[in-house]
This record gives sequence, structure tokens and C-alpha cells, in this order.
Amino acid sequence: MNEEYPPEYGPKWSDQRVERMLGVLVCTVVGLLLAMIVTVLVHAWPSFAHNGLSWFGAGGDVDDQLNAISLSGQSGAEYIYTFHAWPLIWSTILITGGAVTIALFSALFVSVFIVEFAPEWMSNILQPVVRFLASVPSVIYGLIGVVVLVPFIGNNLVSEPQKASVAGVISLTGYSLLAAITVLTVMIAPLMVSIFSDGLRSVKPGWVEGSLALGVNRWRTTWKIVVRTARPAIVAGTVLAVARAIGEAVMLAMISGSVGFSPNPADGIIFIYEPSRPLAPTIVKNIDQLSSPPSNATLFAIASVLLVSAAFLSLTGWVARRSMRKYGAA
Amino acid sequence: MRIKSLAIAVIALAGLAAPASAGAVTLIGSGSVAAQPVLQALFKTYEKQVKKNVHFVYVANGGNAGVKDVQSGASQFAGQARTPLPSDAGTTYIKAFMDGLCLDVNKKNPLGNISIQQAHDIYRGLITNWSQVAPGGLTTTIDPVGRDTNGGTYNFFLQAVLNNEAPASNVNALTADGLVVNAVKQDESAIGYAGLAWQGSKKLKPLKVNGIPCEAKKISVEPLKYPLSRYLFIVLPGDGSTSPPALTKFIDWMRLSPLAGETISKAGGVPAFNKKK
Repeated sequence: MNEEYPPEYGPKWSDQRVERMLGVLVCTVVGLLLAMIVTVLVHAWPSFAHNGLSWFGAGGDVDDQLNAISLSGQSGAEYIYTFHAWPLIWSTILITGGAVTIALFSALFVSVFIVEFAPEWMSNILQPVVRFLASVPSVIYGLIGVVVLVPFIGNNLVSEPQKASVAGVISLTGYSLLAAITVLTVMIAPLMVSIFSDGLRSVKPGWVEGSLALGVNRWRTTWKIVVRTARPAIVAGTVLAVARAIGEAVMLAMISGSVGFSPNPADGIIFIYEPSRPLAPTIVKNIDQLSSPPSNATLFAIASVLLVSAAFLSLTGWVARRSMRKYGAA
Repeated sequence: MRIKSLAIAVIALAGLAAPASAGAVTLIGSGSVAAQPVLQALFKTYEKQVKKNVHFVYVANGGNAGVKDVQSGASQFAGQARTPLPSDAGTTYIKAFMDGLCLDVNKKNPLGNISIQQAHDIYRGLITNWSQVAPGGLTTTIDPVGRDTNGGTYNFFLQAVLNNEAPASNVNALTADGLVVNAVKQDESAIGYAGLAWQGSKKLKPLKVNGIPCEAKKISVEPLKYPLSRYLFIVLPGDGSTSPPALTKFIDWMRLSPLAGETISKAGGVPAFNKKK
């Protein structure tokens, strides 16, 4: 019996057994994930319960609130939970949105160039370089930001009258939206390029050849056939990049600034020089206060917002990819 | 906090796993970033020249976190840069050596002296231009730089300069003492604070505080002449009697021996009780 299998892989490692083992493994992973989500939400609950929807709103100074929350946990008096996270959320939206928008367009053009237009030797060099850039740890980008970009902005771009105009409220020292968006763009663009170019490359050659044979020029073919067919990959790459940008903590904690301030576009050009602090770096900067119960709840509430937005993102990406699948590739 | 304890446990395990001579002892500590340069130098000297079978593991996770590690039992001792608070119950503070917190400006800033009141006003956002500090100097907007709440240096500054009032929103709170020093070096209009161990860079200028320069020799034992001088403490669990003998011996050596005194001064601290050679 069982002549197809060599004896040592015989009945002992039957398909069913392997299937069952993998099934258990998958269940464990899913179970751990659920446990993690439940833990985060349970820890976060007091903060949401006390603030309701105004948790997401504006009102008061968010740093003073965090301070009061932390102190109330140490003094033994009644816990304070009042927290309005809008400045942090706004900062996350500005920095993530800015970086993803810039990265999306540049990554699209770069990957079209690598796949369709660059000579082979060039794409042979660019491809591994992009892969490498996509895997550089974010703290390295943070260091470069602190040592090079932040002082450059602070000393060369920001002028003295601009600094004086906001003196006493915030300091325009280079820790800014501009620095954060620039470095974040450099960080996520390679990730997008590497996923986009995989998508562009998997377009069926027959479709491209067909278009070229009909006399459509190269640029138009690329735009109308290749990029359009690769849209699911573009959505997938963008979703991944947004997720990485939202969750980025260490690099942004180093260069985005440390104040829970809402940069105001109405301020004119100094808007991009204004410091702010997104959600994820807020957790890093206040990690010491985890032992104070109300601070613990507040930080976990921030974490749960990040977790839910990540889940929501992958859901959106999945829906978008499903509706585009009819165009073919990937 | 749990993550930190885990990290400490893993490093401790790595320390234990390292090939060690028979009867080797590993002492696990955590805490103050301000005390770290001096403590590391002391550990190195002790391991090399005094007791070769004692090894140290020190995680610089901030003085407040270090004390909590001692309370929870994750660390056998902690470095701490501030005096005891009520929340430190169940621990013993031992004066180890001294340190001065210097107020630093960029070398290009002509200012030489600052009062505690001026520093207070700058960090509270009441003074925002260098011309308000001293006539004839810079006329630019002040960029105050400080630590985030994770640092013992922050607490010392809060108590000694700010009368426990929170710093203003224009203070840029950075995550490490090194980043504060770096920010002051790169910005002509900046002011920052950092321990003696961080001084000595060409681009950095420690200010006189109330007329007294921030130098090791001015930060004498008693009375504390320099306004921002302080003791650095070793924190032990309970009344200190439960600590391993190897640790107690090390602390005695650190406090009293001339060799330790030399090591402390070389690393940028100020010996408090060490005998002269």
C-alpha cells in the first residue's frame, strides 16, 4: 500500500495530519490576534467610557490633559480621564496624508520608469536598491532627520520674524511637519515602488503587444493598459504604505516635534514649519506613565485607535482590490 | 512597563549565558540616563581591576522607571537622579556621587551668566527673546530644549528651576539627553540642560548659574554652592539589607575608594565621599 510515498514519509506524515497541524497553527495565530485586540480594547475602555465621542474632538491643551491624567494616578485622588485627542489625530492625518500623497505619485512614476522605460542594466541596479531602501529600519531615517534635515530647516528655511511671530506658543526649530513629511515620504516610497513594479511586471505581455500592434504609442499603452491593469497592486501597495506611515512611532518621535499642537493651514507658509505630535509617538513619549492607571487607559485608547484604523485600512484595500479584479492581473 | 521588565530579563539572561568564571555574579540594574555614563565607567573599572567575577547589566530606561523596576523586583538596584518621592515607598536611596545640571547654550551665543529666575521664565514661556535676558547679546527668539517626562533630568529641572510648574508649550521635549545636547549644538538660539558628563564639546557652552560656573570643582559636597548640583543615588529594595553582598560591596567601593573617585571624575561626575589618594 501507499506506493507513491517513500516509506519514511508514509502513513506517519499523511496529508490529513499535516493539514490538521497547519490548521491548529492558523487557529493559534488568529486566537493570539483576537486576544491582543481584546486586551487593548479592555485596557482602553475607561478612557473611551469617560470621554465618549469627545475623545476624538478638540478642546483644551492635550499635553496638560495628559499631565493631569498621569498625576491623578499617582496622587491617589480620584482618577481624571478627560482627554481630547484632536491635535494628535490632526497631526497624524497631516503627516500621513502628506507623505502618502507625495509618495504615491513619485512611486508610480518611478516604478513605471523602472519596469517600462529604463534600460535593463539600470533596472537591474535600481531594483535591489529600492528593495534595500524599503527594508531600512526607521530609526536610521530618524537619525538622519535629527542630524541633517531638522537643523537645515531650523537654521536656513525658518526666518527670525517667523519665529518671533509665534514666540512663547511654539518654537520653530526645524522639528516640523516639513521634516516629518519629507522623511516619512522617503521611508514609504520604496515600499510602494517595490510593490507597484511587481504589479506592473505581472501584466500579460500579450495585452501590451496587442496595444502596440494597434499603433498606440508606448506612453499611452503604459498609462491605459499597464497601469490600469496593475491597479489592484497599486491599491495594495498604497494600503501597506499608509499602514506603515500611521504606525510609525520612533522616527516621528525624533523629528515631528514634541508638542500636542494643531498646525493651522491658515497660518500661511509657517504652517509647514510648525511642530506637532502624531498618535503613535505620543505612546512612545509617555511610556513612562503606563504605571498610572488612568494614563494606562489613555495610552491604550490611543493604541486601539491605531489598531482599528489599521484593520479598517486592510478592509478598504481588500474591497477595492476585489472590485478591480475584473481588469485582470494580480 | 511589562515590556521593559521583559527586556531587562532577556538581557539578564544573555548576561548569565555569557561564559563566566566559576562563582561569577551578575548584578542587574536599571534607571537614570543621567547617571549612565558614570555608572558604566564604574562598572568597567570594577570588573577589570577589583572583582573580575562580578558582572553588571544596566538598562538606562529613566530614573522613574528604574525605581519601579526595583519595586517590582525586576532590577536589583536602580540609578536615580532625583530625591525620593512618596511614590518610591519600599526603597532605600543611597547617595553615590554628585552631578551638576548645566544650562547650555550654543558657543556662538555671547551670553555668559543666567539666573535661576531667568531660566524659569524662559522655560515657562515668559521670556521669549535673548534680548530680554541680557542686553548686547543675541536678539533672536529663544529655542528652549528639554527632556520629555521619561527622564530623571526632567524631574530635577522641574523641581530645581520650574518650582514644579509644567514647562511651556514652546519647549521642545526630546527623548534623550544626547538629543538635547545635539539640538543645542546645532541651533545658535537654543538653550538646553544636561549633566556634567555631557559637557566638553566645542560647540556647547555651559552658562554660569547665579554667577557660579558649572564645573566639577564648584560642585563640592556641602553646602551645595552651585544652584543646580545634585546627588545621584543608587536605589535598593526595602531597607537595603536584602541586597546581595556583592552589590553592597560594590556600593561601598564606589562611595569610598580613591580609584572609584578617579573613575567618577574622568566620566564627568563629581566624587562626593571618596577618599583622596
